[in-house]
Amino acid sequence: MTTDIPFFTIPFGPCHPSSGHFHASVTVDGERVVNLVPDPGYLHRGFEKLMEYRTYLQNSPLVDRICILDPFAAELGYVNAAEKVLEIEAPERGKFIRTIMAEFGRILSHITWIGVTCMVVGLDSGCKIAWGDREPIIRINEKVTGGRIYPCYFLPGGVRRDLPEGFTGMVEEALSGLEKNLEQYDFLVFNNETFRVRMEDIGFLDAEDAIRLGATGPNLRAAGVEADLRKDQPYEVYDQLEFNVVTQDKGDAFARDMCRRLEIEESMNIIRDAIHKLPEGDYKNKAFKPFSKAKKKETYFCCESARGEQCYHMVGDGTDKPYRVKVRGPSFSHTLDEFPYLAKKAYIADIPAIYWSLDPCPADVDR
Amino acid sequence: MNEMSLRRLLQPFKLFRNLTKKPMTLVFPQEALPPVDNYRGRQFLDPEKCVGCGMCSRVCPNDAVTMVEYMDKKCPEINLGKCCFCALCAENCPTGALYMTSEVFIAGYDKSFAVYGPEKLSKKEGA
Repeated sequence: MTTDIPFFTIPFGPCHPSSGHFHASVTVDGERVVNLVPDPGYLHRGFEKLMEYRTYLQNSPLVDRICILDPFAAELGYVNAAEKVLEIEAPERGKFIRTIMAEFGRILSHITWIGVTCMVVGLDSGCKIAWGDREPIIRINEKVTGGRIYPCYFLPGGVRRDLPEGFTGMVEEALSGLEKNLEQYDFLVFNNETFRVRMEDIGFLDAEDAIRLGATGPNLRAAGVEADLRKDQPYEVYDQLEFNVVTQDKGDAFARDMCRRLEIEESMNIIRDAIHKLPEGDYKNKAFKPFSKAKKKETYFCCESARGEQCYHMVGDGTDKPYRVKVRGPSFSHTLDEFPYLAKKAYIADIPAIYWSLDPCPADVDR
Repeated sequence: MNEMSLRRLLQPFKLFRNLTKKPMTLVFPQEALPPVDNYRGRQFLDPEKCVGCGMCSRVCPNDAVTMVEYMDKKCPEINLGKCCFCALCAENCPTGALYMTSEVFIAGYDKSFAVYGPEKLSKKEGA
């Protein structure tokens, strides 16, 4: 609808309840969005520079903070890159433990995302229930790693401590509880008419545009592209585990939501399979010492986080600190490239729904 | 509205079955979740075992640990205001003198309260 009133620019964030410390200037013509200019930087903490001043051991607790909701994936990418520069190998059991915990991180991130998405479309029951359902998995994190949100658990060459006694029973209990919860999300959220009316047929992103704009993870798979680093270039022990890559065809906001919903089930299968195949033996490589020196080499490592590809370019210079680390966060392209593209011509009321269907993490964008 | 969407519209009413369940939350000051055994709370120091090697101070990512004179040797003093509770200091202690406890109620009224010297570190139940 065109009116006589000139275009109007309104801010989205950084204190908007559904923006999550991210700011964008939205130019509107009536109810329609004409232009959206993202303005990141409210959560910039300078990780790449901080990592140059810390040893390979000290960087492990630091990278957790890159993305608060998915710290395991950030650690997994970091330790794998560091292992290549340090030229050490993690034992098989350590790799299995890392895989299991990384999948728990993915589940945790997706459940949090369900909660936030419900909140922004006005379905507050879903928000409260989802945040409550994180608790059994956070309890597992707590028992295994000693921390609830920030695990500080992976090290170059393995993990910091072995799995606690009774881990299998604890996991089975949490996963069977989660299965019941997923059923609850189905009738409360994903099959709920009010939720579907808000989410269906908005924010279309087809496969060609998704690849052009640098989409990765569930956002790319929801456009019908079967791309998952866990299958395409297996790291850790993903080549020994059986799982499917979840894809959707439609490419709208609801397809991206469904993709994440189905990925939770796939992650549960991976965890069960990995626990079944968990070998005995050492959980860390004792060759890694607090001040181990790296070789003069550089490496690039990518892993599949809950949001997409989490990559590290690391340069070792023969000392115990990295010379340069470049972090590629998955939310960067999702927020700065895809979000403005999808927001154009959308209704202003659909902006939070489109934004959260991309599952961005502003902390990951700014780093 | 067709039959299918009416059914979907009524789906959330299944949520009423949650009325028979216990609440997810606890009434915090009166009751709290019991901490797990190996939780990373505040550090505890056994001054008898400490050899003053300074490893805790060297591995700390945030420079929260400084070595001070105590009982005729160097012992760690930890500024919990800087500490990120990563437990690298406790894990790399060669004699096991420094270890993590599940004590988490460590809030104070001013910044100096957060500085735990060797004497304060060796007392359980805070200061």
